[in-house]
Amino acid sequence: MERMKALALLATVGPMDGSVDGSEPGETALGAVKAGDLAAFELLMRQYERLVLVTALRLLGTLEDAQDASQEVFLRLYRNLNKVGASGNLAGWLYRVTVNVCHDANRKRRGAAPVEDAGELPAPTADPQRAAIATERRRALEMSLRMLSEKERAVLVLRDLEGLSTEEVARALGTTEATVRSQVSKARVKVRDFLERYFRRRT
Amino acid sequence: MNCRDWEERVALHAGGDLPPAEAAEVERHLRECGGCQVLASGLRESLALLREAHDEPLAAAHFSAVRARVVAELEQERRRGAFWARRWAWSFGLAAAVVASLVMLALRPGRTPERPAPVVAANHPLVIADPEEPPAVPPPHRRVARRVVRPVVPDAPNPEPLIVKLQTDDPNVVIYWIADRKRGE
Repeated sequence: MERMKALALLATVGPMDGSVDGSEPGETALGAVKAGDLAAFELLMRQYERLVLVTALRLLGTLEDAQDASQEVFLRLYRNLNKVGASGNLAGWLYRVTVNVCHDANRKRRGAAPVEDAGELPAPTADPQRAAIATERRRALEMSLRMLSEKERAVLVLRDLEGLSTEEVARALGTTEATVRSQVSKARVKVRDFLERYFRRRT
Repeated sequence: MNCRDWEERVALHAGGDLPPAEAAEVERHLRECGGCQVLASGLRESLALLREAHDEPLAAAHFSAVRARVVAELEQERRRGAFWARRWAWSFGLAAAVVASLVMLALRPGRTPERPAPVVAANHPLVIADPEEPPAVPPPHRRVARRVVRPVVPDAPNPEPLIVKLQTDDPNVVIYWIADRKRGE
């Protein structure tokens, strides 16, 4: 729990980067949102939007899908505020719902054309050659995540990219710590094997 | 024990997931096993690459776009809710008014169809039955005489039979009780 708060606080750079405050919302703030105050809900979204959108982007691979998933997560949050408020762990609830919504989105698009978009983030360099290398590397990394099973990807994203503890990951995914450990170790080995093969082929 | 058995523990160690005792055991093995050293460094490298690639911040516009979409959706839901609430209120009011009107119509006095008044027997020629016969006894059901309306006494000089009109519950049924009259009565 403390770690989740710390992570959310780390993400707090300012109101424009996707988070305002990483601490759990107070009763007053939640009360205002429950009373139907949309401005208060918008503040709550600012507090957790980085957590939701970035996790969704890591799980889905494209910004458009991640934004759709984030929208769905926040709508579910608004409609389930009473349940969420009672649990007292909003970040954990949001991680769980984000993973579920992304699973649903993956299932829906399984029949559709494969996603070729390797992320929306531009390489932060002016050198075209370095930019090309960075783009290539990003593409490989996205592909390595995509070839994992949904559960392995969720565990890897929450444990290694979001930095949750094994216990928090297990709670968010509704599984045991032993399963999380088993899945995360398999996922790490698969990613490493994929990247090694990919870059060896390129060089 | 071959290196395949170490794979899971080496992968967990690369992510810092092992308790100190197990971590020390893995490190001991790594010092002795070249294959596992390659695996461990590859794991650490790929994890570092993944973290680095996902560390880049997203543009603020991507977050605000999501926020705007959520708020727009909630406002639309609210408008839809208000519209349906108004519509339900109107429908309920209308239904209540219709029901109230029907109840008032049903309960309005004088709305029940009036029964025709019984025809007064005196205005009609009487068919006199055999005076020897006993008067007809009204059946117990709905023919029970409740009250005597009035005796019709003919004013003829000769004694006429006494005719008593008995009103029943049914306005269409009138019982005439006819009795012989002694002279001088």
